[in-house]
Amino acid sequence: MLCEECKVNEATYTLSVMMGDEVKTRHLCGECMAKMNMTLNSGNIKNLLSSILSAITGNDTPAEKQQEVVCPRCRTTLSQFTKSGHLGCPGCYEAFHEQLQPMLLQIHGRVQHAGRQPLATEDAQRARSRQEQLTRLMEQAVALEDFETAAQLRDQLRALAAKEAQA
Amino acid sequence: MTNGTVLSSRVRLARNYEDLPFDTGKKPEEAATCISRTANALALSGLGDGFQLIRLNTLTDTQRKALAESRLISKDLLREPETAAVLLRHEDAVSVMINEEDHLRIQAVRPGLDLLGAASACFRVDDALSRQVAFAFDKQLGYLTACPTNTGTGMRASLLMHLPMLTVCKQMGNVGQIVAKVGLTIRGVYGEGNEALGNLYQVSNQVTLGRTEQELISAVTAVGHQLKDMEAVLREKTFTTSRVTLEDTIFRAWGLMKFARIMPLKEFFKHWSGVRLGAELGLLPVSLETVDALLEQCQDANLQAQAETTLSGILLDAKRALTIRKALK
Repeated sequence: MLCEECKVNEATYTLSVMMGDEVKTRHLCGECMAKMNMTLNSGNIKNLLSSILSAITGNDTPAEKQQEVVCPRCRTTLSQFTKSGHLGCPGCYEAFHEQLQPMLLQIHGRVQHAGRQPLATEDAQRARSRQEQLTRLMEQAVALEDFETAAQLRDQLRALAAKEAQA
Repeated sequence: MTNGTVLSSRVRLARNYEDLPFDTGKKPEEAATCISRTANALALSGLGDGFQLIRLNTLTDTQRKALAESRLISKDLLREPETAAVLLRHEDAVSVMINEEDHLRIQAVRPGLDLLGAASACFRVDDALSRQVAFAFDKQLGYLTACPTNTGTGMRASLLMHLPMLTVCKQMGNVGQIVAKVGLTIRGVYGEGNEALGNLYQVSNQVTLGRTEQELISAVTAVGHQLKDMEAVLREKTFTTSRVTLEDTIFRAWGLMKFARIMPLKEFFKHWSGVRLGAELGLLPVSLETVDALLEQCQDANLQAQAETTLSGILLDAKRALTIRKALK
């Protein structure tokens, strides 16, 4: 079997990467294995990340033929990320979700956050108290059978909820 | 015998603004937004008193490096000095670095083994800011950071440890394995590559996602205690089996530090470790505070900042020797 990396020498090593329950395997020659080991041992996290990714995805398809994933928000491409190890913006987490998930699992062993969360910002707190105020007024209007006012208040509440959902 | 193995505890939190791209250091406009937003938020929160906003481009190269040597800012913050800034509270070494790898790096350092103290100082700043501004946060992944190695809590808790006996007895390989098993990492603090000048190591959590801040702090603290005990056992053993050799190392270091006229940096680190060990064992008439302060005072940029001139070569090494002699008088 030929080395999957250089496609010149005979493959003498098998590299296995655990991804969740799945094991991805690549066959490499001594030279390419040594290169991979050097990257893994250099302690350079950027190289480590890109070697994990390339070990997982393989280099079977020439880069230009691979479908390039692009973050719609900051235009960072997946290959830029794998090369640098740095994401372009918070939106990249969603854009590269599929590739990031196994990588995060590999790095941290878990992919569900535990721990602190941001406190509600004062804006959010103000919005919440505005919501409570509108709800109270609507209930009063219903009690007084003033349905026109109640409907107006209901629309305002919906608009507020939609705005919050967007944020 | 174990007193003082842990020099200091440091916690840092990585935080990013939801609406800005990550590498603000390279984007002057966004970098400026980042700085003003953070400074305003801290001022509005009522926690701003005592914090000083320092833009790195208003400092000289030496002053910037001196801040990094004192560990008040990270070396990474020096990469883009034109756009970087720090909100610094000198009195208790709390800093908010702006436009580093992440938009914000909230950091606190405490003397000795006190990760909880350092963490709660960071959390106070984090909470105060998060009441004013929206941080990038995802329910599943936690705090979103520029590099996936920090995602989740965004927290790195680290201990600065002096481990001369574990080093001399060639135990650091074993230690590395023990530490890796529990998701932590240990590395030399000063020097290139695998060097650990001064036998100084930093042990910290490697994993940031899926464990709470408290769990991570407990893990690092537990390993800190374990390393302290391992070091103590070796010290005890060496003290009984080869006391003369140990004392010779310590007193030679003491002699050189007290009397040398030229002290290169690498040599300083070597003898610093000997003197630190002597002070820890109660063999030398010097306090740990004095010895630890030397660590900061004797590095290149701090010496130059103190001399208010650029020194190099023999002049710098002579200035270092003088600083040491004065401190150990």
